[in-house]
Amino acid sequence: MTDFLQLTFSGLTTGAAYALVALGFAIVFRGTRAINFAQGEYVMLAGVTAGALHQWAHPPLAVVVLAVVLMGALCGVATEVVCVRFTRRPDPNTITLATIGLGVAIKAVVLLATDRQAYTLPGFSGDATLHVGGAVLEAQALWNCALVAVAAGALAAFLRWAPLGVALRASADDGEMAAASGFSRNGAAAWSFALAGALAAAAGAGLAAVSPVNYDFGTLLGLKGFAAAMLGGLGSMPGAVAGGFAIGLTEAWFAGYVSSTYADVVAFGVLLIVLFTRPTGLFAAVRVERV
Amino acid sequence: METGRFSPRRLLALALLLATATFALAACGSDDDDAGSATAAGGSTAAADGAAGGDPIKIGSLFSVTGPPAVVGDKMRKGLQLAVDELNAAGGVEGRPLEVVFYDPAGDTNKAVDQTRRLIGRDDVDVVVGGGSQSGIALAMQPLLQRADKLFMATEGAREIVQPADERATTFKSTFNDTVVLQRTADFWRARGVRGVGFLPDTSGFGESAKAELEGLAPDAGIAVESESFDPTATNLTPQLTNLRRASPQAYLAWTTTPAATTFLKNAQQLGLGRSLLQLGFGSADPAFFAQAGAAARGALLSAGKLPIYDRLPDSDPQKATIARFVEAYEARYDEPANVFAAQAYDGVQLVAQAIRAAGGDLSGRTLASALEGLGSYQGVNGDFRYTAEDHSGLGVDAVAVSEWDGRRFVPARDGLTE
Repeated sequence: MTDFLQLTFSGLTTGAAYALVALGFAIVFRGTRAINFAQGEYVMLAGVTAGALHQWAHPPLAVVVLAVVLMGALCGVATEVVCVRFTRRPDPNTITLATIGLGVAIKAVVLLATDRQAYTLPGFSGDATLHVGGAVLEAQALWNCALVAVAAGALAAFLRWAPLGVALRASADDGEMAAASGFSRNGAAAWSFALAGALAAAAGAGLAAVSPVNYDFGTLLGLKGFAAAMLGGLGSMPGAVAGGFAIGLTEAWFAGYVSSTYADVVAFGVLLIVLFTRPTGLFAAVRVERV
Repeated sequence: METGRFSPRRLLALALLLATATFALAACGSDDDDAGSATAAGGSTAAADGAAGGDPIKIGSLFSVTGPPAVVGDKMRKGLQLAVDELNAAGGVEGRPLEVVFYDPAGDTNKAVDQTRRLIGRDDVDVVVGGGSQSGIALAMQPLLQRADKLFMATEGAREIVQPADERATTFKSTFNDTVVLQRTADFWRARGVRGVGFLPDTSGFGESAKAELEGLAPDAGIAVESESFDPTATNLTPQLTNLRRASPQAYLAWTTTPAATTFLKNAQQLGLGRSLLQLGFGSADPAFFAQAGAAARGALLSAGKLPIYDRLPDSDPQKATIARFVEAYEARYDEPANVFAAQAYDGVQLVAQAIRAAGGDLSGRTLASALEGLGSYQGVNGDFRYTAEDHSGLGVDAVAVSEWDGRRFVPARDGLTE
């Protein structure tokens, strides 16, 4: 029982990371109908930057986090300029392809700039741990879960009620109609990329406090976050959260009870099953294309 | 309606995409062949300054000073140059100065193969030291150099580079086999009364090789080993540790070259496993991995060479003076800490020089190989090299030590130097 609880805690810790990445996929998809494959590299970039900033200047942790979140948002805007604005017709496929290239570039730049060094942050509340039923949970995992809850809630509320959020959804659903009502498609894309960048940055800071982050850290994380987003239903905020935790927990249980060597296959096994049986994911409604 | 297929904006977008991709590729393997040769010329000028006359002996060398293995390659190249300059200053080898012909394969095996062909053909080098700073590259270079009857001194780790020795007649390496590191670690465990070990190798070739070795040698040593593998980019090793702790091992050993080493120390402390020994293999010898784990690393152990603790070795250890001389020379010249990779390349050049002297200046691969096998014992920075016809790796368990992280640096561990 203690072991089960311990594996579950481990699953929650990694699940929170996947959920944060999946939320980033969701918001870009909602704003542009494209898949931002640079999302994992954003997280890596933010984690490395946060760690380097902490190591170099020792500012208070809150300053580090705010600085990287701001940087993340700016990176998001830059992505939009590179991947969307320079395209004559920013159709989702072009944007998706462009983000793949961008992801590779970010990874290469970080590799060169950091000399492959890894960076960490101290836990937001130190090295504190909680003991529950004989199992141990690090306090940072709770911070990251809280981050997931706040981010998912805020994004869902934003899309539902904020005028800008509504415009963003409208633009993704029917760009020309939204443009006719005075909201530019590029504006929608810029906002969704900025949000995704800020989210990734918060995730990067949270993760650097759990384990060291280096240039190689984002790729697998991004793919697993994508699997989580697909599982929950691309574009759905609750789906992204549920998908992230589902994959994190399945992975931990699989590693504990079946084989730790092949635990990384779990996420992609799940992805394949979802694609074969229910391509819209668990939460998203089937999208009806009206002609 | 739609403007032409190739509107300027579309072209711009396409160009940007291409530029991104090209840049990324270039960054992963930037090609500096010309720069490489240029610096090689620099090396040869240094050689000409030496007191020695006569035709230079040409040492071909491949290190990845850019690309993924750059951290390792840079140190190796500096170690090599230090040894060459020291030998030239002392009058060269057999009255002939040494000249380095250097190329940077940037971690790319295909490029390394081309460069090796160039070393053999156009440059007509006499011996080769350095296999591109990556075991896979050294493995690819090996057959080419053997066919050309060139002595190849690899500075990379994998056992397969020199095994089986009868098929690798002219190939040697100046690095540890994981075998001897694990043997020393098992001796240490026996001295500390450890009977059960939880082993965490990563799923790379480095980890897989150690897993096979340890599971092979543990029964003879009377040690029960349970293994749980993990992906090299893993961010959480709790599931593996949770499984391993069921057997209540007295020691946990993780085997990786990635920052997962830090995660291992942190997770193990969080789970309260700190009363067992927490130990890492020689792939994690970078002090940064321990420093980043903070308080969780205090008392953690490392099985590796003696370089990190040389100033704390007993004076009776013959390696102490050799390491001290090397570290002082290296730090005086490059103004940065020396490490094991620089020492590997330094030892490689010195060993080749020994062989050339023993062979009386004959530079054919087979002659130099039997000269190395007949050297007996040579005290290098990383240990006492004793090559034989069966063992082209040379270093024994006596070159390995178990050290302990005291919170700021490595110090010798109790029973860590037992014979």
